Amino acid sequence: MVRTVFSPEYCLQYLEQYASKEIFVVGLILGQTTNEKENVIYLARTPEEKNADTVSESSYVSDKTDIAKNLLSVSEAWVADHAKHVTRMLPGGMFVQGIFVTSDEDIFEDPNQFSKVKEILHYIHKVLNVNQYMYGNCPYTNERLVLHMSTSTKVLNCKSVEVGAPNRSTVIKPVEWKFVPKIQQWQRLDCYYEFDEVYPVIVKKSGISVKHQFQQILESAHKTIESSVMFIDGELKDGNEAIEQIIKKKKTKTNSKNTQQDIPKTMQVSLFVPFENTLPETVEYLECDGSIHFSGVVSSSVFMCPKATISEAIVAVKQDIIRSLASRFTMHCDALIDDNLLPEEKVCFNEPPRRVLVPVGSIYLCDYLFPGESPAEALLSVRELLDLQITEADVICDVETPADTSEFDALDRDASSEELLATPQEASQFMYITGICFAMLVLIVSIIIHYYDTIMDVLRKLLSRKYY
Amino acid sequence: MSPRLKISSYVIERLSKIDTNESTGCLFGLMYDGTLLVVGLSLELFENDKNTYNQLLLNLPAEVELCGAIKFDDTLTMGSKLKEILHDVDITDNPLVITLNDNRDMKVHFLVHEKFEETKYEVMESNDLWKEFLHVRLNTTLPITCEATIAGVKSILQTKRKRIASGQVSFNVDGTSVYLFGVASDVGLTGTSTELTIGELVDSLNPGQSSKKKKQLVNTVEAVPVSLVMKTTKDILSEKLVKTAVKMMTTQRKPAFCISMPLKIDTLAMINRNTKLLDLYTVLVEASCRSLRLLESVLLEQLGQEGIGDGAGLRLPETFHYLPPEIGHFITRIVPKGIPDESMENERRALHKQLALPLKKPTFRRGNSYFDKSCGRLMNPHEYVPVQLSKPDVTVSIVRGRYAYYHYMQDNFNDDGWGCAYRSMQTIFSWFRYQGYTVVDVPTHREIQQCLVKIGDKPSSFIGSKQWIGSTEVMFCLETLLGVQSRILFANTGSELQSYAPELVHHFQTHGSPIMIGGGVLAHTILGVEYNSITNETRYLILDPHYTGAEDISVVVNKGWCGWKNSDFWNKSAHYNLCLPQTKASI
Repeated sequence: MVRTVFSPEYCLQYLEQYASKEIFVVGLILGQTTNEKENVIYLARTPEEKNADTVSESSYVSDKTDIAKNLLSVSEAWVADHAKHVTRMLPGGMFVQGIFVTSDEDIFEDPNQFSKVKEILHYIHKVLNVNQYMYGNCPYTNERLVLHMSTSTKVLNCKSVEVGAPNRSTVIKPVEWKFVPKIQQWQRLDCYYEFDEVYPVIVKKSGISVKHQFQQILESAHKTIESSVMFIDGELKDGNEAIEQIIKKKKTKTNSKNTQQDIPKTMQVSLFVPFENTLPETVEYLECDGSIHFSGVVSSSVFMCPKATISEAIVAVKQDIIRSLASRFTMHCDALIDDNLLPEEKVCFNEPPRRVLVPVGSIYLCDYLFPGESPAEALLSVRELLDLQITEADVICDVETPADTSEFDALDRDASSEELLATPQEASQFMYITGICFAMLVLIVSIIIHYYDTIMDVLRKLLSRKYY
Repeated sequence: MSPRLKISSYVIERLSKIDTNESTGCLFGLMYDGTLLVVGLSLELFENDKNTYNQLLLNLPAEVELCGAIKFDDTLTMGSKLKEILHDVDITDNPLVITLNDNRDMKVHFLVHEKFEETKYEVMESNDLWKEFLHVRLNTTLPITCEATIAGVKSILQTKRKRIASGQVSFNVDGTSVYLFGVASDVGLTGTSTELTIGELVDSLNPGQSSKKKKQLVNTVEAVPVSLVMKTTKDILSEKLVKTAVKMMTTQRKPAFCISMPLKIDTLAMINRNTKLLDLYTVLVEASCRSLRLLESVLLEQLGQEGIGDGAGLRLPETFHYLPPEIGHFITRIVPKGIPDESMENERRALHKQLALPLKKPTFRRGNSYFDKSCGRLMNPHEYVPVQLSKPDVTVSIVRGRYAYYHYMQDNFNDDGWGCAYRSMQTIFSWFRYQGYTVVDVPTHREIQQCLVKIGDKPSSFIGSKQWIGSTEVMFCLETLLGVQSRILFANTGSELQSYAPELVHHFQTHGSPIMIGGGVLAHTILGVEYNSITNETRYLILDPHYTGAEDISVVVNKGWCGWKNSDFWNKSAHYNLCLPQTKASI
């Protein structure tokens, strides 16, 4: 049986828009694979590369005349980087499923072109595999899609290419790509996963690496979430049952008067964690001089094709929470000036960016905002990474809220107690320093986000002189 | 209005035997279906000006609460102690007061508006008690990390209790998809009908059991296993939803010692079979909190001790459940892991006194714990043998407490034809383990042989051989491995055995241990005697180690591998040796 992929019709218009202008474009195919059905949700053009030779961040200042005009001049690292950034924006259960190309050559016939296609797919696979907690590579299949539209004939062709095979003996199969005029229904599943853990640490010798701490939190969260039991709308469901069966049951139960209610209602998810019985049966004993309090929520909204099973939905929710944590931590650490919390610092507050939702078609993808950033920042990444124009009002910013100052107030109270070594002066100094740090952070992050923006060129030059 | 009152026959029996100088006691009971059932009692020792009943309450299954007091005189005046106890009764508005004078005349009163009102009561027989009530056993492990100080432990355990009581936990009946969970202030149930009772659930878990078999199993108390899961997601509909994104705060403090350990919660609740599953939620929350309080007291006691003040020598608490036959309800104790039973005698002595238990035999040692089952072996098969009707002039005296049935071919070891005395010895050994006299493992055939070689009774070639042993060898081994002395009796013929009947009766009454008997080519275990003092007619309750079949109680009982035998069971012409293991008074 030929693999069939269902795609919304706007994807065709999207391709035609570029093909008719006879522009060479490469981009990512985003979608969801379930046992029953494979859906594409969106095609996202890879932003134009400013310099094909290097991808290091400082190089963006150079002139941008060098736009890749054909597939062979595209940097696979650049596309893979795009895939990495887009993965952060995908809810659990959705993946970069492959790439699309609009060009006048036949990329499947020309061996040079096709080998470039394979190179790109392999590179994406490699890059997405770096952080397992990002769930970058779709675990259900190793066959990535390649969709091609000829700019001359407007003919569409789709094949799948195997990635990740050890000997690179790539298997290539034809794929049937179907445009469906009817809008795909999605079942939304929501939850707020809560963290509230305090644990002791040893600071005094070498300080604490934020990155290392986040990595440990991620590992333990992964273990916990994997072992958890999931309820949907307060009930334990049969994993083999399809989501649509549950919807049907609900309808027959409650909705006798109003059967026309097609808008999928959100399902509420709760996770229950059994306590591990695998701990060593001993009392561990160590001297500590600090503690870490990791707290707050990860809001999760995943969208499942109604034909998907409950088990698939459960996996998607779990992936979503972990992927979101991993995304924030990576973004936070990338923006850190110094990873090390030094022994001199008595209190330190790390606030990774928070999740916001951005509408794409009938579902929501997400983006992350650093403290102090406005929703407008999300518009930029949506435009750059998803090639999509939305308005500020479209961004849903209140699924999570930034930390309020009460944490700091609590610190002030603590600081006056004898337990804490920090004197009030030190504490206020800390506030001051943190304030500056935050400001710098915001600045740097906005710079990173504005990378491609020509308006920022001057400012960037200015800054790069300052820093490099 | 005062509730209907039932008193367990165990309580009546204990009250009739109680001998104390204390003036006051406490009554413990539970409410079900508009009825107050008194299940237990304690003596109030008022040691160190502390009310000991509050602490004892933590040792009782959840649902069992303080319900009244005992006055060891028949005046109806309110002393300060009595007032204090009655003041602490929360389970009913009308606390119960039982008065007991020197002639052991018992009167029962409800205290209604500060006035004593004598009341009638029903006695609940033990069979009905075990039929109408069942136990739920909650097991879970909470990882805790805190500063190694009394304040640190107190605070972390309080946090854990709060979390459990806040509706964030859910309970799963093991092996089912039944989950009980808290929703805001309400309770939910999934996996089964909300109308189901706990008794119906248990019956549905063992559908194959015929009612006859169930009746036979009255002697074993099974607990429904439940585990705890923690809710890690927030209710979206909750008004208190705080949506602050994840953040990390690092604080530096003065260096301090920290401990981190897996805290095992293992706790029981006693529940009427007709209780709705939905109502079980709050019971299990209470059971968890009770267990956490008991764990806390054990940890704090350790931290307060010299030498482990900084937590370095802190031992993991271990939970044991006891069901002393005379008490008729569970007592849960938590002790530090690895501390030998011998060095905790004072605590046990206090508990014995508080529960008015005799100081003659171990009751709360590790070996006495109820759920520590022998791996697949049948326990106390004689309890499944049909009971004889009591006749005048006939004394029946049988083994006390629990033992495991050891017989041929167990543990994939072929000892058919030579190992019967070894197996009999193992059965006796297991008895000493289950009565708490020892924690030494039951020795294998080889270990028994090694022991006999070591003491010089046998040459070294004996090890690994298939040579028989007799009563004296059993005596040597018990003495060497356990420090247990035995009496040896000789009978020249099977008929001479009969003359020992009064002595056997006395043995079971005072020591209660199984007896090994060897004669001719056979060894058996004697578990009891029935002696007619007029006719001298004697029957023996025999456990036969020569059984080679599977661990099937119906075969063992129906085919007579365990059962009553007449005196013609013994070979008239053979010599017999009996080994009567003796116990020492200890606790």
